[in-house]
Amino acid sequence: MPLSRRSILAGGSAAALVAGLPGFARAQATPKRGGTLVATWGGFEPQALFVPPGGGTSPFFTSTKPLERLLALDQQLNWQPLLAERVEAAGDFRSYTVHLRRGVTWHDGKNFTADDVVFSAMQYWKPLSVGVALNALTATKALDSHTVRFEFDRPVPEFFFRSVLAGQGGLVIPKHIYETGNIVTNPINNTPIGTGPWKYKEWVRGSHVEYVRNDNYWMNNQPYLDRLFIRWWRDPASRLAAFESNALDLGCFNPVPMPEVDRLVRSNRFVADSKGYESSAWCSTIEFNTRKAPFDKRVVRQALMHAIDRQLVVDTVFFKRGRPGLNPILSANKLFHTADVPKYDFNPAKAAQMLDAAGLRKGRNGRFSVNLLAAGWFEENGKIGQIVQQGLEDVDITVNLSVPDRPTSLKRIYTDYDYDIALSNYTAPIEAVPVISQYYVSDGIAKGVAFRNANGFHTPAMDDLVGRLTVETDPVKRTALAHEFGRQAATEVPFLPLVEFDSLTVARSDVRNISTGSNWMGEGWADLWLDR
Amino acid sequence: MLRLLRRRLLQGVPLILGVIIMNFLLIQAAPGSFLDVMSAESQVSDPAMLEQLRVTYGMDQPVWLQLLKYIWSVARLDFGFSYRQNMPVLAVIMASLPATLVLMLASLLIALLLGVTAGVVAAVKVNTIWDNLLSFLAVLFFAAPSFWLGIMLTVLFAVKLGWVPVGGMMSITASNQGVVATVLDVLHHLALPAMALGLFYAAVYARVMRAAMLEVLSLDFIRTARAKGLGRWRVVLAHGLRNALLPIVTLFGLQFGTVLGGSIVVETVFSWPGLGSVMLDSVSSRNYPVVLGVLVFSSVVVILVNIAVDLAYLRLDPRIRAR
Repeated sequence: MPLSRRSILAGGSAAALVAGLPGFARAQATPKRGGTLVATWGGFEPQALFVPPGGGTSPFFTSTKPLERLLALDQQLNWQPLLAERVEAAGDFRSYTVHLRRGVTWHDGKNFTADDVVFSAMQYWKPLSVGVALNALTATKALDSHTVRFEFDRPVPEFFFRSVLAGQGGLVIPKHIYETGNIVTNPINNTPIGTGPWKYKEWVRGSHVEYVRNDNYWMNNQPYLDRLFIRWWRDPASRLAAFESNALDLGCFNPVPMPEVDRLVRSNRFVADSKGYESSAWCSTIEFNTRKAPFDKRVVRQALMHAIDRQLVVDTVFFKRGRPGLNPILSANKLFHTADVPKYDFNPAKAAQMLDAAGLRKGRNGRFSVNLLAAGWFEENGKIGQIVQQGLEDVDITVNLSVPDRPTSLKRIYTDYDYDIALSNYTAPIEAVPVISQYYVSDGIAKGVAFRNANGFHTPAMDDLVGRLTVETDPVKRTALAHEFGRQAATEVPFLPLVEFDSLTVARSDVRNISTGSNWMGEGWADLWLDR
Repeated sequence: MLRLLRRRLLQGVPLILGVIIMNFLLIQAAPGSFLDVMSAESQVSDPAMLEQLRVTYGMDQPVWLQLLKYIWSVARLDFGFSYRQNMPVLAVIMASLPATLVLMLASLLIALLLGVTAGVVAAVKVNTIWDNLLSFLAVLFFAAPSFWLGIMLTVLFAVKLGWVPVGGMMSITASNQGVVATVLDVLHHLALPAMALGLFYAAVYARVMRAAMLEVLSLDFIRTARAKGLGRWRVVLAHGLRNALLPIVTLFGLQFGTVLGGSIVVETVFSWPGLGSVMLDSVSSRNYPVVLGVLVFSSVVVILVNIAVDLAYLRLDPRIRAR
């Protein structure tokens, strides 16, 4: 049986699995203090424990245990206070007042104040970690020791602003440590000091990082555990062996080979959960280089979508743990996603007809040839490339498939635009602007900058729509604009998710409170406990 | 002997220079750059910031100038700074080198002990069941990829039998261990990775040793030794083994570099905190300073080991000294 979030929640055979999860039968159990937990994720060791400009998933995982944000977005997509107790928007939405939590101290004993937030916003978030999303921010002022006002040069939607505060780039850093020198190269980034539930103890490169309980954490009794280890295995089979030999308690983001998950769960010693990734859902994408003929024609792009069997990708590459993509705002996004968008069912005959109608008839060497690039940062992309190649060849298109490594893929897609069709990936937060929208607009085109508009597509209508989505402050109207954005994107097809794939957390069945947030891997894990 | 040592050390200098130049140019020729990876990982969305980073990392300078600067800094034992790890390259290497050396030495020790022993036994018991069995095992371990062997050993000894840990170099959750306990803990963790890496080389040594022993055992001086009434094993070990060891010593020197390469794979399977993971990450992120640093460092180690091998020749074979 395929193990998706839906099947986990609905399937009777998965009842035993669900019984081990927080929020269900065990929700009423009283948390136990103490214990040591060893965690990992389905990737590699970070380059530094905290990489101020971001640095990818691995440093995000390690930095969010000692460092905190102002807000968090829970699994039901409600805002939860962390270092901010409340956030108030001005009537014109051109400024926001943030009331900070009192009595919070940094790990070195200094008090957390408004100055830290002002410094973080202006010296760290705007220039380094958040970037274009804070273009409209003009000033951040400390009104008193625990109140901060953010000022913008245009109206900023409340969800957008809160998303920045709760987002990957919104970690609050201590001013007294970072105000001298360069934030990016500060040696403290490898021994981070924050306000979070976990204090850095030791990093053994190539092996693990050890965090110990922050006894002065602002939330009473938390964290529940005494020690937290984040350990790395480069090889998924080794992670599987570690789980089975009790060397590992918890793994995020697909830690073990997909075909092995069912076997682990059936043993009753482990649970698997696809929740906790709502604000970091992943997809495999297809991107057409609209600078080149015939991909500059919308009908050709639509025809090629009909030639690709996306369900086959789900079934064979992701072992049925996913679904064909429809909308760049993914289905995990319950606020802004709509399924009411054009759909491209697998229909090679229709694809051939559309190509014929577009004047691309079959010649002696087929219709035309395609330079298909599958980005080599995920092993799955190469397999998807083979399925796409097969689909296109079945409608008489000659395909040259290449699967270059990560740096080469980045250069060819985003610097040289050296592709006709690219197979890539993105992870999407709930807020669609600018992470998703920038793939479709003219100001998203920036040669050499990764994960922006490399396809060259832009229309005045889409630019206008995204412009309105960026400043609309009425939540209902904004949701309608987001739906319209999804429809336009799926109609124009410059760049679309081919497949949305599930991310799984695997844990021993006595680990409690897993997957409690919408981007749980990047949360503090203060409430994690062991039922032993 | 000193003259040989001096000559070999001097010959190593242009060799290392060649390693630096060749690797520097090869890395520069590879498509994509450290900056591409860094900007992608960090979602750098501002082209101006990208340009600023290019200047910060010296990537706006011509390649020949970067190369000259690098050679000059290596001459002063400065391997540069890794912006990815946010620390000096030498510190990155030194943090991982001990683990790799421990793994390499342990696996070579296993390879030598098992390989030489198996080769000698197979030669002495030639064309018997022992010879056939040892030859079969040698072919098996020679043909088995080390990552596959590593996973099989893990499944059997760590997961099924629970005799050894599944990975890492030490028990991470144990604290305040004494020296003896720490050493035992490391040995406990070392067993599987050293076997996975060492068994391949043991197979090579066994085949070479068997052939060398068969050749030596058929020579006149062995017959003379037997005629003088020496015991069988004394003839084999005191006269045959010493003369058959020369090809093994040659192989040892040649294979030191390849063991380093093999350790990258084994370290990945066993989560061994050595240079392997550092190299993999650095190559895939085009982290040139670290890649170059590791290559220069390993070149130096290989050159030094080969000099030691040359010196060992002198000790083992007086005829070479006479020449």
